[in-house]
Amino acid sequence: MLGSASAPVLGTPRRRRALRRYRNATIAHALLIVMVVLTLIPFAWMLDLAISPPGALALPDPIPHSITLSYFSQAMQATGVARWVLNSAIYSVVSVAASLLLCSMAAYAFAKKRFPGNHVIFWSFVSMLMVPWQLTIVPLYLLIANLNGIDTYWGLILPTVASSQAVFLMRQFILGLPDELFEAAKLDGASELVVFRRIVLPLCVPIMATLGIFIFLFHWNDFFWPLLAAQSENMQTLTVGLATFQARSPNVGELMASTIIGFIPSLVVFMLLQRYIVRSIALSGLTGR
Amino acid sequence: MAEKPALAGRLRLAGPGWIRARVRVRGTEVWAGYLFVLPVFVLYVVFQFGPAVAAFLLSFTNYEVGSNPQLIGLTNYLHLFQDQTFWTSVRVTVTYTLISVPLITLLALGLGLLLSSGLRFLATYRAVFFLPYVTSTVMAALIWLYILDPTNQGLLNATLGAFHIQPIAWLQVPRLVLPALALMSAWKGFGYSMMIFVAGLMSIPHVYAEAADVDGASWTQRFLHVTLPLLRPIFFFVLVIETISSFQVFDAVYVMTSGGPARASFTLVYMLYTQGFEYFNYGYACAVGVMLFLIIFGLSIAQRRLLGGED
Repeated sequence: MLGSASAPVLGTPRRRRALRRYRNATIAHALLIVMVVLTLIPFAWMLDLAISPPGALALPDPIPHSITLSYFSQAMQATGVARWVLNSAIYSVVSVAASLLLCSMAAYAFAKKRFPGNHVIFWSFVSMLMVPWQLTIVPLYLLIANLNGIDTYWGLILPTVASSQAVFLMRQFILGLPDELFEAAKLDGASELVVFRRIVLPLCVPIMATLGIFIFLFHWNDFFWPLLAAQSENMQTLTVGLATFQARSPNVGELMASTIIGFIPSLVVFMLLQRYIVRSIALSGLTGR
Repeated sequence: MAEKPALAGRLRLAGPGWIRARVRVRGTEVWAGYLFVLPVFVLYVVFQFGPAVAAFLLSFTNYEVGSNPQLIGLTNYLHLFQDQTFWTSVRVTVTYTLISVPLITLLALGLGLLLSSGLRFLATYRAVFFLPYVTSTVMAALIWLYILDPTNQGLLNATLGAFHIQPIAWLQVPRLVLPALALMSAWKGFGYSMMIFVAGLMSIPHVYAEAADVDGASWTQRFLHVTLPLLRPIFFFVLVIETISSFQVFDAVYVMTSGGPARASFTLVYMLYTQGFEYFNYGYACAVGVMLFLIIFGLSIAQRRLLGGED
């Protein structure tokens, strides 16, 4: 009785399904918004601490009574954030450029050139993916120290340039490019270097963009290796600088202001190149199956 | 009969030249191949493969700062197995993994399911959830240090204080320190695995869900019997990468706890760091590294088995 009585009110089955979908979507959005708030709270807290002068916060009320930007200027002048950012930028940008260039050269050779040992060398590269890099850290440190490379840019950068992952992914990508492209150029008399520069590199731009972002973020956020290889005040990268600064129990506002300044470059990279990131993660997940 | 020598002569003339031309082409290709691989190969051998081999060799020596390495066989490993701090670090690392991997995987799967259900604003949600992943662990750890502050000046304790709950020293109580660290890395890292789940879920053809709908399956039934089996390979992939990365946890421990309190967050890689770069026992530190390698190698093999045995 009840069912038949309410049927005209709720309408046709199609309408009922639409209502149910609407209800489900509302619940889903509500859950997602809760998670968005929870995800953003730590960022808001960081900002809160960086702009609140002493005594301006009366927790649990998170809104400061007054606001100051002086921590940011202190961070830029006294703390030396600018120097850390510069060092991190050198570490990241040089590594990205060197890594993409050298790894794409190797990937092209592995994918399209036949030479004795091609497969053996390639798979020995890939096998390093199974080795946690922390295993190599003690010998690597001793090696760089013996070459007087500690606290130099080359000592910091060179060990991180050869990336098995980059070589692997770029080789897979180049394997998918048709051979005719390279053959045609060679028949026209182009040298190997010209073929690489004029044909391989331009075709590799999409994969290089994705890889480049990840290599950049990896270096910008890297901590263990710079902690060992860039110890002096002038050479410290952002992560090392922040960690040692924190260990001196500094003013919280200044520390958080420094952290925000250091976050801006990764934020910009992320905002500008978001779609490449999305695509590349989809790629890594789907190759994992 | 008269043609035969002529033909043979022509062939003899043509033969070597043709071979020479082929060899020349193959030769430049071979040289180009080697030259293109060479720079990365040298860097790889000097800075990765070499140090990895050296780590194995050094683990059989008593190399310390200021002394020459001497072979001592398995002594480092025998010490390691009797070293209480080693077993502590193994226990801490495994416990941390058991807390952090389920936390991060469930978070990532749950949000991945919500995001792939065809809602609006997908890109905005995805961007927000991925934002913590873009921060460095050091930075995330610094923020969380002031969220988990033991006084009522910490955000968490201040919030709890509004409900008349006494401040808790999250990072100073041995039983709370690993869950606190795991919470921090879940916040920082779930976005990555979530994106993998979203990609995986979206690659599942719609017809399966529609077929289940036509058969009158509920959401739970559809999830358990349709979505989850199809998602299995990706689920294992996420599980393995998250497990491997949680076995390598270091940055957060260094910044937030220095392995404390009372070694309650003394992880394997942190032990490697203290042995190598605080006590300068290089040989011993390498032995710890080899153990880490064996564990992670085992996990990779297990992944192969799990994925390989499936189809």
